[in-house]
Amino acid sequence: MKSGSNLEKVLNSGKFAVTAELGPPKGADPGVIKAKAGLLKGFVDSVNITDNQTAVVRMSSLSACALVSAGGFDPVMQMVTRDRNRIALQSDVLGAVSLGIKNILCLSGDHQCFGNQPYSKGVYDIDSIQLISTLKRMRDEKKLLDSDDTLTGDIGIFIGAASTPFSEPVEYRPLRLKKKIDAGADFIQTQCIYDIELFKKFMERVVDLGLHEKCHILAGVTPLKSARMAVYMNTRVPGVIVPEKLISRMEGARKGKGSEEGIAICCELIEELRQIDGVRGVHIMAIEWEQAVGDIVKKTGLFPRPKIRG
Amino acid sequence: MNIDTKKIKSMLDRKGRMKIFLSVCASCGACADSCFYYRNSGDPESTPSYKALNSLGIMFRKWKKLDYDDLTAMKKLIWGKCVMCRRCYCPLGIDISSAISWARTICRANGVYEDFSEGPSGIKDK
Amino acid sequence: MVIARIKPIEEILGFISGKKSVLVVGCAGCTAVCLAGGQREVDSLIVDLKDNKGVIFDGYTMERQCEMEFVAELDHLIDGFQAVLSMACGAGVQFVAERFPGMPVFPALDTVFVGANREVGQYQENCRCCGDCQLAYTGGICPVALCAKGIYNGPCGGSRNGKCEVDEKTACAWCQIYERLKDQGRLDQIMNIKKPMKWKNQTQGTLVQRGYEKFQQD
Ligand code: SF4
Ligand code: SF4
Ligand code: SF4
Ligand code: SF4
Ligand code: SF4
Repeated sequence: MKSGSNLEKVLNSGKFAVTAELGPPKGADPGVIKAKAGLLKGFVDSVNITDNQTAVVRMSSLSACALVSAGGFDPVMQMVTRDRNRIALQSDVLGAVSLGIKNILCLSGDHQCFGNQPYSKGVYDIDSIQLISTLKRMRDEKKLLDSDDTLTGDIGIFIGAASTPFSEPVEYRPLRLKKKIDAGADFIQTQCIYDIELFKKFMERVVDLGLHEKCHILAGVTPLKSARMAVYMNTRVPGVIVPEKLISRMEGARKGKGSEEGIAICCELIEELRQIDGVRGVHIMAIEWEQAVGDIVKKTGLFPRPKIRG
Repeated sequence: MNIDTKKIKSMLDRKGRMKIFLSVCASCGACADSCFYYRNSGDPESTPSYKALNSLGIMFRKWKKLDYDDLTAMKKLIWGKCVMCRRCYCPLGIDISSAISWARTICRANGVYEDFSEGPSGIKDK
Repeated sequence: MVIARIKPIEEILGFISGKKSVLVVGCAGCTAVCLAGGQREVDSLIVDLKDNKGVIFDGYTMERQCEMEFVAELDHLIDGFQAVLSMACGAGVQFVAERFPGMPVFPALDTVFVGANREVGQYQENCRCCGDCQLAYTGGICPVALCAKGIYNGPCGGSRNGKCEVDEKTACAWCQIYERLKDQGRLDQIMNIKKPMKWKNQTQGTLVQRGYEKFQQD
């Protein structure tokens, strides 16, 4: 065991894992976190807490992780390299581990120009892959970057990374994933997948490279709420492809029934993703729609979640 | 276009040392090899001494009779054939690039100068 | 070359407000080439500033403001002026200010980047002076200056149709790096993990070229 986190246990046991995403509030109210977490309780193995997603200032991922952790969840702390240099990143990792946070997902983060602080100075001292190797060094060698001093305490971290299978250059994506795994990623959560055929091709390459054996891959899904959202995701969100077929299904949904259709599509996608060789779990990113997660988990027969001791 | 020969004179007077220096140039050609521009082009008009003598040197000699066209004619030499890298070396101690630079400054003070909107060398290609 | 552009005229007027005589100093180096601060721009800035009030303006352009010998040409000119507006890059402005510590010296330009001439009047950023050039393994495309996140193991997931996530008109440097290395048969260059940069531009930069150390001591 690298960290003993619930996510690690579930994945190691060979069970199909379920994670979901929770965005901290734009404010200091811990009640928001508790309410959102309440909607996920019992339906997920772990909950990802985003780190100032889309460069909008929110409650810090670290403190929101501490809050959900106190509520009995196994958090995945997301960390972007946009806002902190290597000193702050490593220091926050130590702090997170001391608070019992065991999963950390390494990201570069959306560029600061997208958020509500567009004139901030981006840090990007290290990139996501370099953050992965930094965490691995902290865990396995108990050492910081470029330093030989030994760190005290147990530093158990289950290291996560993201993958966008359909960003360009498409043929390089599996190889870049390999770089992340070589750097030390234990699990991968992908960008949301709608095009199963394309994703199968990606996974074939991943299996060819043997990556599925070195690391647990969770496929990302996002339930659609409306046809408009489907079109937006398809045209505006990098690395997301929504097939025409799904867009027209969303367009065909009766008024007020869009989200039902979205959940139905999401469940079908999960069924198909489960059949793909190398896919070890699913990561549900229901953006500001945490209620959907329980529905989806129940409808896909992924409820109840396994309880693993040890 | 009129130029101000009085102004030219007063600017020349401030660099009396340069006048002496230019007058002692032995035209030995030793500076040529230190100029990358000459080495690459082989163009005899681009040796440092040629450029200095045919700009500031002329100004010292015939400042009274200079006109706008004379200064314009120097553009090709002092901007077109020199990048002011200041690597030219004269064993007699003549500061050739300062001389070229001062010729440029005098031209500029009279409205004759490089114009980089006309091309990369700042002078119109003919 | 250093690329700069003129500041908004209101900002420049703010700097010199209350001054009765201002010397506008051009640079015939980079900022002349990028059409921001040469003799031509000195002349036109003076025309623009004169519109406003009864201030005395004069202009003077030197070869380069980043060389003290040229800056010294101002020594005999500067008396009587209450302020200097420098039209060089930030390095030049500082050299002029250093030469005349009692004189308020204001920048008339915003220095924007180290770049190249695409065409006359069009410039592209190419280098951020990181002090540890990475171009060897990136096919001659700078990941520091041309990638919005300055990452070393790109591309991030944000690229779309070969463009960067920040702007659909700007190329993704890492997509270009990939394509160029692929064409050159050098993709192996980006298969290994590039270690974190050891930043070398985080303290005040001074440089003495090899062979010149002894002159430095004089
Ligand atoms: S400038 Fe000096 S080196 Fe050049 S020709 Fe004259 S004397 Fe010789
Ligand atoms: S300053 Fe001009 S003349 Fe002197 S070496 Fe450079 S290019 Fe040649
Ligand atoms: S002062 Fe700045 S703009 Fe002028 S030549 Fe030097 S580096 Fe270029
Ligand atoms: S890698 Fe560094 S030195 Fe090289 S071009 Fe980019 S910023 Fe400049
Ligand atoms: S899209 Fe490309 S250029 Fe833009 S931040 Fe990502 S890797 Fe860098």
